[in-house]
Amino acid sequence: MKPNQLPSGRRLPMGWRYGLVVIACLLITLLTAPFRDTLELANAVMLFLLVVFLVALKLGRGPAVFAAFLGVALFDFFLVPPHFTFAVSDGVYLITFAVMLAVGLLTTGLTTSLQDETERVRQHERETRGHYELARTLTGAATIAQVEEAVESYAAHQQCRVRCFWLTPARQLDTGDSELLESHLLQMAFNSQQPVRGDADAGTPPLYLPLRAPMGMRGVLAIYPQAISAQDFLAREPLFITLASLLAIAVERLHYVDVARQTEIEINAEKLRSSILAALSHDLRTPLTSLLGMADELAGRPLPEAEREAARLIRDQAGAVHRMMTNLLDMARLQAGKMQLRLEWQLYEDVISTSLQLLKPTLAAHPLTLELAPDLPLLRFDAVLIERVLCNLLENAAKYAPAGSPIRIHAYLEDGFACLAVSDAGPGIDPAHLERLFALFERGEAESSKPGVGLGLGIAKAIAEAHGGSLRLSATPGAGTTACLRLPLGTPPALLTEDEHEPG
Amino acid sequence: MSQAELRILLVEDEPHIRRFVRSTLEAQQWTVYEADCGQRGLVEAGSRQPDLLIVDLGLPDMDGVALIRDFRHWSQAPVLVLSARSDEGDKIEALDAGADDYLTKPFGVGELLARVRALSRRHARQQETSPLLSFGDVSVDLSRREVRRGGVEVALTPMEYKLLCALLRDAGKALTHRMLMQAVWGPGHTEDSHYLRIYMSRLRQKLEQDPAQPVHFITLSGVGYRFQF
Repeated sequence: MKPNQLPSGRRLPMGWRYGLVVIACLLITLLTAPFRDTLELANAVMLFLLVVFLVALKLGRGPAVFAAFLGVALFDFFLVPPHFTFAVSDGVYLITFAVMLAVGLLTTGLTTSLQDETERVRQHERETRGHYELARTLTGAATIAQVEEAVESYAAHQQCRVRCFWLTPARQLDTGDSELLESHLLQMAFNSQQPVRGDADAGTPPLYLPLRAPMGMRGVLAIYPQAISAQDFLAREPLFITLASLLAIAVERLHYVDVARQTEIEINAEKLRSSILAALSHDLRTPLTSLLGMADELAGRPLPEAEREAARLIRDQAGAVHRMMTNLLDMARLQAGKMQLRLEWQLYEDVISTSLQLLKPTLAAHPLTLELAPDLPLLRFDAVLIERVLCNLLENAAKYAPAGSPIRIHAYLEDGFACLAVSDAGPGIDPAHLERLFALFERGEAESSKPGVGLGLGIAKAIAEAHGGSLRLSATPGAGTTACLRLPLGTPPALLTEDEHEPG
Repeated sequence: MSQAELRILLVEDEPHIRRFVRSTLEAQQWTVYEADCGQRGLVEAGSRQPDLLIVDLGLPDMDGVALIRDFRHWSQAPVLVLSARSDEGDKIEALDAGADDYLTKPFGVGELLARVRALSRRHARQQETSPLLSFGDVSVDLSRREVRRGGVEVALTPMEYKLLCALLRDAGKALTHRMLMQAVWGPGHTEDSHYLRIYMSRLRQKLEQDPAQPVHFITLSGVGYRFQF
């Protein structure tokens, strides 16, 4: 009960209240004494009872009981004959006293219990309003700090102090700088999802309430009693549990607001990225097509050899820029998870033939050896992407191996994988550098005059992994490099023989 | 139509690409008409009646595929698609709409001329009725269902022969997996394209000089196959 909510009379100290009772009773006595012979004594009884009633109403139970007894005493002493003595002349007055006392006490009892009831209802209403206010504040809160502030001010009204313990990004309880014992209790509340009572040594023990929201635990609320009795604190436990669940829901709401905002940002970024990719791929390819075509056309004209050579160079460089761009765009798509695989059952040999066709000019300086194991089954892959992988591997081989050295393509089965290996007789790679080679934009040589941004291997690896396969590099310094694409063997669809297929 | 006097309509919105394609084709003494948008292209196609149509798929005013479909309603002249897109789906759509072949940008002069020549030859060949065909050291007698390589008869299974005939019939044209499946295995099997890969591999083993680097049975990654003489 908050002091300012009490009826004004009950705010007075006890001594004052009893003093007021004495004064009121004496006043009634003084008022009625002069008429004691002419007035019906019943009227005086009524006035005394009125005082008892008013006192019960305004000053509380104790003073009212006191007023009842005092009234009977004064009535007897001053008004009932013989006067100025407690002796009674007529036995009937004893009944009057008894009835007067009984009515006084009954009135007191009824009045004060009614008041207590009213007070309880008011108290309940105040709590409800407090909850409502809190709920409203929590609903409107936009940050965790606002939520904490609302809970703290609510707890202050309850003469308590609170502290919230939230989760770490790893969804563990962050006990902050709390002592060993407290952090143990916090952890206990968090793990058991049940309220935990603190150490009783230092006065009223604090309460640790788990913040359990519909979608999971959000933290622990610690409530430390301040100017509140242990009994009151205990009585308010249901209140605090309600507080904890309100708090948990508010925090969860904030969490999902955050998630939604983050998702929206990501969606927008993704949209932007996609449109940039689409625009880039169109806007870059169009001028490159003109450039490459015009240079190629120029190279075919009857011009002095030096100029035709220059035109051919422009053409080749435009081609190199285009390949680089394709690699960059593919990498961007792969990283954004935007690459859709068009998986079909097919053979490695189709990809090998198209890659060799595409790279005819690049590979012209290298004798090729091709070894295809005879038992190669159908594999499930995206022809265009695997062609990109093989082209990148072949280009690397042609780039780093000296002109005239052989390049070997070998397709075979190994450990449940279909392997497609490209070996060159180049300088090889330092084993320590092999893994780093896959990192984007990294090349075998620190400073290299060889063209290419080193994306090729990174993309080849990403594509292989998107197919559930892998890309392996092995190298012997001085004796060449082997890059091996490994795709998992699936269960190819059944192949009916011709007779089954087309009877007759 | 002889190759000496080809009349070509080029529908392409990019002026620089138009310019080099035009000068490449004109260097061959062919006549080139230009249109910079789809609507214009349709009008020009109607009035010029070209022997060959070259269409960019990414036109500003209409989808190149729609233009091809429209053109196919009244003309059988070969159509070559220029595709700036790397998406194979677009190429397949264009081929289904009636295009004969495609070039992916960027492309060189050599590729462009090779495709145009192949398409015009194909168109000319369609008028011929001889049952005797030959490529490399292989000769095919369609009337006797006989295939010889270097004078020696090659044994083909009925399906292999059927596939070879489908390829020869549309030589020089890009054929999607679906088209070939439908022609050889029938409409019920258009999704089982792995048959096609296996049989194509067998045909190469039997008829190509170097099956790993074929010169006649060409794979078009993600799209289909093209047979070329």
